Amino acid sequence: MNARRLGWAVFLGAMVVFAILPLYWMLVTSLKAGKQQLVLGNPWWPENFTLEHYSGLLSSPDFGRVVLNTAVVTGTTAIISLVASTLAAFALAYYRLPHSRGIALSLFASYLLPAGVLFLPIAVMLTRLHLTNSVLALVVTYPSLVIPFGTWVLWTFFNRLPSELLDQARAEGARPLQVLRHVLLPLSMPALAAVGLFAVAVVFNDYLYTFTLVSDPHSMTLMADVGSNLVDIDDPGPTFAEIMLGVAPVAFLCALFADTYARGLGTGVVR
Amino acid sequence: MRRLPAAPQVPMSRTPWPALLLLSPAFLFVIVFIAFPLGSEVWFSLSNAQIGEIGTFVGLSNFVYLARQGTYHDALVNTFVYTVVGIGAKAILGMALAFALARPFRGRRVVYALIFLPFIFPTVTGTMAWYYLFSNVHGAINYALMAWGLSRDGIDWLGSFGPLPMTSLITVNIWHGVGLFVVLLLASLRSISPEVLDSALVDGARSRQRFVHIILPLLKPAFALAAVLSIMGTFGDFAIIHILTNGGPANHTQTITHMAFLVALRDGDLGTSAAIAFSLMPVYLIAVAYMLRTVVSE
Repeated sequence: MNARRLGWAVFLGAMVVFAILPLYWMLVTSLKAGKQQLVLGNPWWPENFTLEHYSGLLSSPDFGRVVLNTAVVTGTTAIISLVASTLAAFALAYYRLPHSRGIALSLFASYLLPAGVLFLPIAVMLTRLHLTNSVLALVVTYPSLVIPFGTWVLWTFFNRLPSELLDQARAEGARPLQVLRHVLLPLSMPALAAVGLFAVAVVFNDYLYTFTLVSDPHSMTLMADVGSNLVDIDDPGPTFAEIMLGVAPVAFLCALFADTYARGLGTGVVR
Repeated sequence: MRRLPAAPQVPMSRTPWPALLLLSPAFLFVIVFIAFPLGSEVWFSLSNAQIGEIGTFVGLSNFVYLARQGTYHDALVNTFVYTVVGIGAKAILGMALAFALARPFRGRRVVYALIFLPFIFPTVTGTMAWYYLFSNVHGAINYALMAWGLSRDGIDWLGSFGPLPMTSLITVNIWHGVGLFVVLLLASLRSISPEVLDSALVDGARSRQRFVHIILPLLKPAFALAAVLSIMGTFGDFAIIHILTNGGPANHTQTITHMAFLVALRDGDLGTSAAIAFSLMPVYLIAVAYMLRTVVSE
């Protein structure tokens, strides 16, 4: 029995190492003094430790702009998605529309469409509208990747709440939006948090859209910046410091809510 | 004179307008960014559209052209291998990790967060790091192998012919995607009562039967959701392929999504690109049908 538990512990330990290996390497590279870190020295340990890349970043206006763009795009995407998904899910759950269920399912199905099918016409459309090369292109596109699934998640969650809640509120003469605000939303925090996290994950994990929609350096999120400039092979320290300082803390913070995320997303499938 | 009827107890509106109003923001996004693009893509696939040109109708000739292209066949096979091996590995590792994390221990929350972290960590940046881990010029993995005397000249993880580059790509796909299986399966496991779970996890033949006949069926809906989300996500993987190998060497790791991107943006050939992208539609339809049966039916 003890050997068995040891086995599980070793397995877990190995998987944790696998998960953080590239993050650890980025951290090490960001802490090495000088240049040429990619071809010289020990890649696993910062022999000549320094924080110069971090202090350099903090005084660089470019870093401030990239982080600001990332925050604006992520925050706006999350807010637009949450509002639109909540209203839509509420409409489907509260009003007994003839095809509520069909609409919710079609939204879910539209979320699953392969990314390769949609990115090209979206790029063509936004180019015609002269929206590419600004953060606006991303801010209008990303919610469309979140809202369909977000609506389905919230709709499932609302449907799981006891129906007496709604009946009672209706009987007391509450107006629809009051029911949403005072009855449903306070009970729906796990699902709302999950949809918010999902929005962050969509923005953080996208590359196809940033790559095709944004090439103006002034409009780049951190993902687009790292992706399009790739890494200065002679001087990679600042790039990895940018990642460590600009997105790693947010990502780790989100990761701490893995349970909330899973319970919210899995409402329909987790008993 | 009859009294006016009291306000109905359930003020269910007869007209659908309030509901439609609430649905309209979501519908707007779906129509503009999903339905309309989907329609455009259908047109592209049936036309000779180029970047900046709407093109003319050419019927199915883009598909006929593709069917004769060896590079397209390579991309289909590669996408199949990448997805099937990736999903299989993520499902097995995800299941094992969910069981490993199911019972409380000290530091569990941090371990769980670290396992989930790659799923939410920006894929571009993580993939960039993997590129330098795999690099054959002073790459971190080769450095370690050589330092420990396990390899003399290092291994060409990304540029050699043979299965190695694809294996490297799948490794990064697993690194990124296993967290989704873990969280959904774990959430499902934790809703099973601890006694039932424990009785199925001790040694012995009867517990194995309990595991197969009681636990696994309870996990099935969460597993199906994770699998469908993961398959469609894996199809869409772009950063991993673009950054690590760019489809090479010599098309050995080209996938459908990446090829659709290259043909559109490098060659400007929207028609062929759209036809390439649509080759994933049959799997999409199967995934949706499966989803409707497994997850949604209650």
